[in-house]
Amino acid sequence: MIKDFFKNNPVKRILMTSERNGSKNDNDTNKSNESMTSTTSPSMLTYSMLTNRRVLIDSITKLNPWYLAKQNPVMFTVEAGFFVVLAIAIFPNISTEFVSQNQIFYIEAAIILILTVWFATFSEALSEGQARARVDSLRSLEKEVSARKIVHGKEVTVTSTSLKPGDEVIVYSGEIIPRDGLVNEGKAFVDESMMTGESNPVFKEKGDHVIGGTKVASDKMVIEITAEAGRSFLDQMISLTQNATRPKTQNEIALTILLAGLSMIFITVIGTLLFLAYSLSYAVDIATLIALLVALMPTTIGGLLPAIGVSGITRLGRDNIIAKSGKGIEAAGDCDVLILDKTGTITEGSRSAIAFVPMQGYTEEDVGQAAFAASIHDTTHEGKSIVDLSEQKKFIPPLLEKILAARSIEFSAETRVSGIEFVASKKVAALNKEEEEEFREIARTVVNGKATDTIDRLEEDIDRASRSKVHDMLLDLEKTKESDEKEGKDQIRILKGAIDGVLKSAHPGVNVAELKWKAQEIGENGETPLAVSVGNKIIGLVVLKDNLKENIRENLNEVRSTGITTVMITGDNQLTAQVIAKEAGVDEIMAEAKPADKLKRVVEEQEKGHIIGMMGDGTNDAPALAKADVGLAMNSGTAAAKEAANMIDLDSDPSNILKVVKLGKQLLITRGAITTFSIANDVAKYFAILPAMFIVENPKLEALNIMQLHSPETAVLSTLIFNAIVIPALIPLSLRGVKFKPESPEKMFYRNMMIYGLGGLALPFVAIKAIDMVLTVFMG
Amino acid sequence: MTYVDTIIQTAVVLGGTLILAVPFGLYMARMISYEIRPLERTLAIVENKFYKLVGIDSNRQMTWKEYLFALLLVDGIVAAIFFIIVSTQNMLPLATPGLENFSIDLAFMQASSFITNTDLQHYIGDQQLSNLSQMVAIIFIMFVAPASAIAVSFAFIRAFIRKNFGLGNFYVDFTRIIITLLLPVAFISSLLLMVLGAPQTLESSLTVNTLEGNEQVITTGPVASLESIKDLGSNGGGFFGSNSAHPYENPNGLSNAYEIFLMLIIPLSLPIAYAKLVGKGRGVSLLIAILIGFGIAFAIALSQVSGPDLLETRFGSFGSIFFNIASIESNTGSANSALAGMSPNAVIALFLGMFVQAIPGAVGTGMMTMIIYVILTLFIVGLMVGKTPEFMSMKISPRDIKLSAIIFLVHPAIILIPTVLAFVTENVQAITEGEITPFTYTEVLYEFTSAAANNGSDYFGASADTPFWNWSTGIVMLLGRFVPLGLMLAIAGSFTLKDRKEVIEPIKTQGPLFISVLVVITFLLTALTFFPFIVIGPFSM
Repeated sequence: MIKDFFKNNPVKRILMTSERNGSKNDNDTNKSNESMTSTTSPSMLTYSMLTNRRVLIDSITKLNPWYLAKQNPVMFTVEAGFFVVLAIAIFPNISTEFVSQNQIFYIEAAIILILTVWFATFSEALSEGQARARVDSLRSLEKEVSARKIVHGKEVTVTSTSLKPGDEVIVYSGEIIPRDGLVNEGKAFVDESMMTGESNPVFKEKGDHVIGGTKVASDKMVIEITAEAGRSFLDQMISLTQNATRPKTQNEIALTILLAGLSMIFITVIGTLLFLAYSLSYAVDIATLIALLVALMPTTIGGLLPAIGVSGITRLGRDNIIAKSGKGIEAAGDCDVLILDKTGTITEGSRSAIAFVPMQGYTEEDVGQAAFAASIHDTTHEGKSIVDLSEQKKFIPPLLEKILAARSIEFSAETRVSGIEFVASKKVAALNKEEEEEFREIARTVVNGKATDTIDRLEEDIDRASRSKVHDMLLDLEKTKESDEKEGKDQIRILKGAIDGVLKSAHPGVNVAELKWKAQEIGENGETPLAVSVGNKIIGLVVLKDNLKENIRENLNEVRSTGITTVMITGDNQLTAQVIAKEAGVDEIMAEAKPADKLKRVVEEQEKGHIIGMMGDGTNDAPALAKADVGLAMNSGTAAAKEAANMIDLDSDPSNILKVVKLGKQLLITRGAITTFSIANDVAKYFAILPAMFIVENPKLEALNIMQLHSPETAVLSTLIFNAIVIPALIPLSLRGVKFKPESPEKMFYRNMMIYGLGGLALPFVAIKAIDMVLTVFMG
Repeated sequence: MTYVDTIIQTAVVLGGTLILAVPFGLYMARMISYEIRPLERTLAIVENKFYKLVGIDSNRQMTWKEYLFALLLVDGIVAAIFFIIVSTQNMLPLATPGLENFSIDLAFMQASSFITNTDLQHYIGDQQLSNLSQMVAIIFIMFVAPASAIAVSFAFIRAFIRKNFGLGNFYVDFTRIIITLLLPVAFISSLLLMVLGAPQTLESSLTVNTLEGNEQVITTGPVASLESIKDLGSNGGGFFGSNSAHPYENPNGLSNAYEIFLMLIIPLSLPIAYAKLVGKGRGVSLLIAILIGFGIAFAIALSQVSGPDLLETRFGSFGSIFFNIASIESNTGSANSALAGMSPNAVIALFLGMFVQAIPGAVGTGMMTMIIYVILTLFIVGLMVGKTPEFMSMKISPRDIKLSAIIFLVHPAIILIPTVLAFVTENVQAITEGEITPFTYTEVLYEFTSAAANNGSDYFGASADTPFWNWSTGIVMLLGRFVPLGLMLAIAGSFTLKDRKEVIEPIKTQGPLFISVLVVITFLLTALTFFPFIVIGPFSM
């Protein structure tokens, strides 16, 4: 289904192949992360972005203290520290009591401080640049219709987005109304089914309102546009790519408050320490105190927080998903119940034959041959799969030529059967060489869609076809036909279809009990039975099975291991649904569900306190999509659904909801991991700077001097350098997100605690010492 | 005392306290969830008559604001009564001749001190208070202050119970806590302490002939009754200036052990009550985290020998450290030795207890502070499992984080800023002699830390009875008490409004991993805030 979709959409296909290393790996996060790294990885983008002037300019304009004061209080404090140290560097004689180092030290410290701020603003500008680039590339994918605008009485073809209220457009039968408007001239029927679900076209005349996106079904009319240039979904997304205009999510707000709280605590600590150390007659150096303050404040997470938030948008865009709000992405991480449609999400939405079950007195081969014959003209996926299965099992019916030549009986909702019908023909009985060749020729044309080697194999198989019962039957049929002809009956049918449908045309002597029992058995396995009849005899059943989507089981397993419950909604009966659920690894099912049940389920689960993710495409999905915490609408869906959802999937692949959930989690983990890392770093920084501050006057502090740094000066500088370079070092991580391994929350907690907690504790001890050793070489 | 003896003593006292904490905790759980108590019918009659008399609608559920208002009202009235009594005591009965009234600033400071459960004393109890003041004012207020804090903790715990309890009614909680928790235990403890040798009399002094033949006047009074509630309610204000070092307050090793038990019993029972009400694992994990914290502080204190100077020989180095650690970590603030006799490491351990305020902390407030640490820990590390952090399956909102952050910001601010002020305004220099040494600085830091943590132990004692010290510590104590209580009630209020889900929490607040993370974060936040001040203070003594 997806492949078909791409076939029809060259733009998307090109994008797909250029941006993803094969869609097969996408479902596996680790693999897809790797594949992303090899194509459009953040690190690659980083290099190309480095040369991007806009990013550089943005990162410098963001140094504006007003901007920082509003957007990033932590970095604002660092910048304020920079100005103080800069002032001391310029006027070292400001104070004798609080300025004790040489001028070069202050200049160096000032440079490192402003670099720290710049690294932070750069990461923000970089992530915004990436997001912008992503939005631009998505723009080409968004549905845009062309409109015939009337300019000075002439028709000019323009894109729908360029229309302004007051413009007049002419819309012909079969065309889409570009935007909401009023009918000025003409009368026409308009198909509004995609908006209202009402399948009968609605009659519209002068003065009536028409809805953008609906289709004119007959005639033509002139419409005056009344709506503003449609706020396209991408326009909505653009505001999310700028950190300043991006509405912050609850978690981000809470984290910002926590960071501001920590900063205020440290400001209090450092401010009072200045006076108290002075009272105890320590020589306190202001720059050293500022260095300690900057080192203690959570600059790493404070600097990277905006970049992490914006990167979420970029990474969604990489999966061709448009986010309409940041809230949805975050809620996706919290999602603990996913409501999934069976068709399209869990299964491909088409069934394939997997086995033939004969009735008593017939063999599997008989059924296979008859089913082959009945499906020869069937171009649906089901029909093709029956032919494929017969071929695979070498159940090729005899008299293939005649079968191919037979008249096809199309499926109809009334009869619910399809197959072939032999039309009486005197030639049939005796085939000569020429005629046979002719039939083979026909075969080639009929089975045109198939690979030619199939035909060749068919021909071989014809010869090898064993003399089975069906063979005899077919031959018998030939005879009876001749005899029937005399009686006026000239139709012999080979049929397949729903049990009831086939039974209608069957001989009353058919063993109905056996048939029903066998059909039930098939149903119990979650499969669908089709009856096959030759003439008026039912000879067996074809077993059809729903095809699970590729990797769906692995995907759902991953989802489950992170503690998410999946609910499958399907119109199938309970039994079938259960079997599919078991095979795909779905936790709960809602069988025999009507579209309205979705909303009911969403509300029920929310009342229990769950966070619901779901996807949908129909207008009747819209209320549920709007109610769900994470609503992913298919781009192929109706405008109402897209309007209601908080995300739109341009690929229209329902299983993308799983990607959204993973991304949401990854964003939260990244924030948590860098916060933990940032706070854990502080321990080492204390041990580096405190001895440097007091050791000269107070030899007792030698006990704390476990890092044995070269001098107080290098201790302060190396701590500041470490503090600064951690930010650019973690930019790739913040843009890409912390590696997400599907596992239980306890395991994830333990692992991340070890990496970012203990790692964050140990790393600065090593790194600061190393930087100190390097500085020692340079500073002698 | 040998090494083995110390281990046995620790094990017996702590073990005994923990064993008794179980029935205590289960009983408190009944009080929190309004289950039937022993003698419920009789008690209900008494209580209901009391409610009627005072005009309380006992069935009315309060919002957090109403609860806070009721708390402030009751505490305000009681503090005012105390203020009036101590500033007019020489006109009232039972006054020793020549006894002076408290000055306005001292009366303000002492009223703040007792109502905030701090019991920082800038006077010498046996010399400056009449027996009426001691009994009515101090013993009465010593019931009111802990009952207020325990009531708030009851309301706080109710916010997290699954069933929709609401916060309860302050007046009901307050009355029930005094009548059916503090009074009975204090009464029995008074009897026990009397048996152990503490006096209980209305005589204000004894005149005895000493061996040398001189006459000596020994101050005495209702010591046993004050002593029991002093320790049970995390109060700490002694009858005598020398507090539990005085032989009447703490006659022997057995009374020493019993008083340690009294100080720890309610703080350690509340996690048990919590366990009973919100889940065994959660409560027990909280208790273990508290005990680990207590153990760390105790180990730090024991890592350096204290004394023998300035310690009571009756208790020795270990007995003094044990008592002081139990008293100060539980924010009781009584002491059985002069603090100056404690080694630098022991002083660091004492500071640690007052900075953390939750190992185990004072009655009521200690456990609430620990839960705030849990919420903050969950938020800091909780994002790492990819979900919005939740506590008890309720999402932690930006508002909760804001309120918690203010709690943790207020504490260092009201310690450090007044300390700086004391130095800058030269008020330190006014009450200490000589130049400023790390020890002087430690004394000052200790004074405000003790005030902010509502602890009550101090170095200065009556020597800090100057307007600056009285006003500054008085204000710090009020802020240190009512700002966090108000914020905690606000957090509890916001949690009662949240949807209770039947969903599993992403991070369970129990188990070894969570306990270790909680302990590390608790100490890390404290250490990051106060490390430099410890380094230039007690560490450099």
